Amino acid sequence: MENFSLTRSELVQLTADTFIISFNEWIDFEPIQFIMIETETSIVRKPFGLGRWNGKLAIGVQIIGPGTNYIVQQSVLEAHGPCGKGFVPPEGKGAMIATPACLPMALDLHKRYGCDVFIGSLEELSIEIPFPLVVGDEAFLNLLRSLEGYDWFLVIGSDQMEKISYDILKGKAEVFVSFNEYMACGIGACRGCAKETKNGLKHLCIDGPVLRGEEVWS
Amino acid sequence: MELRPPIVIASGTGGMGEYLKLIDPKHIGAYTLKTITFNPRRGNPPPRLIATQNYLINSIGLENVGVEKFIEELENRVYDELFKKVKVIFSFAGENFEEYLLVAQKMAPYQDRFVAFECNFSCPNVHFNPLSNVVELERMLSELRKRLNVFLIAKLGVEGAFIEEIAKIVEDCGWNGVTLINTIRALHVDGDRIIKGGISGPVLKPIALRAVYEVRKKTNLYIIASGGIMNEQDAEQFFKVGANAISVGTALYKDPKMIEKIAQKFS
Repeated sequence: MENFSLTRSELVQLTADTFIISFNEWIDFEPIQFIMIETETSIVRKPFGLGRWNGKLAIGVQIIGPGTNYIVQQSVLEAHGPCGKGFVPPEGKGAMIATPACLPMALDLHKRYGCDVFIGSLEELSIEIPFPLVVGDEAFLNLLRSLEGYDWFLVIGSDQMEKISYDILKGKAEVFVSFNEYMACGIGACRGCAKETKNGLKHLCIDGPVLRGEEVWS
Repeated sequence: MELRPPIVIASGTGGMGEYLKLIDPKHIGAYTLKTITFNPRRGNPPPRLIATQNYLINSIGLENVGVEKFIEELENRVYDELFKKVKVIFSFAGENFEEYLLVAQKMAPYQDRFVAFECNFSCPNVHFNPLSNVVELERMLSELRKRLNVFLIAKLGVEGAFIEEIAKIVEDCGWNGVTLINTIRALHVDGDRIIKGGISGPVLKPIALRAVYEVRKKTNLYIIASGGIMNEQDAEQFFKVGANAISVGTALYKDPKMIEKIAQKFS
């Protein structure tokens, strides 16, 4: 865990509002760990999942407000991390199901564990990606219904996309979800990112961000 | 109490020492632990936080393991590394006056390990507000003073009474210091969600400055100023109106390195 400045190496636009930012600095991290990035628009830092892009440290950013817009505009970002518990998949064949902003995380997980990756997007992407892409809600639902023969799934995206995915996939294999909750410190100090689970409160910055879906939604 | 640098990590925001992963301890005068209560507390249900450019509202609700478990952790040396690196302030509270006494009684044998005890009389995220009953508060302050032989600090808020009048009672009861101020009850509407909690951050600074100014005029207590201190300029203003030390909380979330910047200016 450390403080660092990240200098932008590359900014890749995937859709109208989604970008990949790669950095010149190298940081060791475990799959699905995240960093907390400072913005001018909030007095707390915001969490972004770590991954790789063209061999460099990278994050994906979907612009959903002034904070994420700020991050895309900057050439230098202040951050700390890596935060969170690294995701270690169970034995067997697995697949990650994610939104375009999760591409760097997906590339990293695929490289480390050889799992399949499926990207669901509302729009076509502006670049070719090495994973199957489905565009639109109906295609995404059809994809989820078609997935068979897996031992585990990892779902990362919006709250709504994660819940829909869990409901369709839960009978097919073990489903892990990277949950979202408002965060302030990212290191276990503030206790703000509490999540209700059937095993009591979990704190996503130290117990997560990945939890078993059934812990939260059973 | 001598704090060098005169910078305290605020209770709650600093957790149980986690920020030592990000801040060199030489920049910290004292580290206040999260508030410990007599019984374990699960805290409030999520959502617990909302942040804007000017404020943070938190509704953690004093989540903690309770004093018995905390003592067990102390005896199991869980915090030994923390004690080695920094001076530590123990923060405690109760759900009624009796529980304050019970926590004090349990912790009295361990008091020498701490540079001070901070009694949290002002958490806006629990229903009990000790500052609203001055007679009972005075009795409690006297009882706690009798039972604890440690530098005693009362953490006061601005809800319940004029803060300088409470601070005078704190001083008359033989206490050593006050932390001014705590968060204040606030509410944020985010679409259909309503988040109630205690507000902190830059919006709190003028209120905290006034509190420090008024309490300094009326008492000789050691004052730890807390509320909206986001940078060196904020810290300087609090020292100017009478603070002996400053407590940094929400600013940790914006930039943990801010502690170092403030420490370099005021060491």
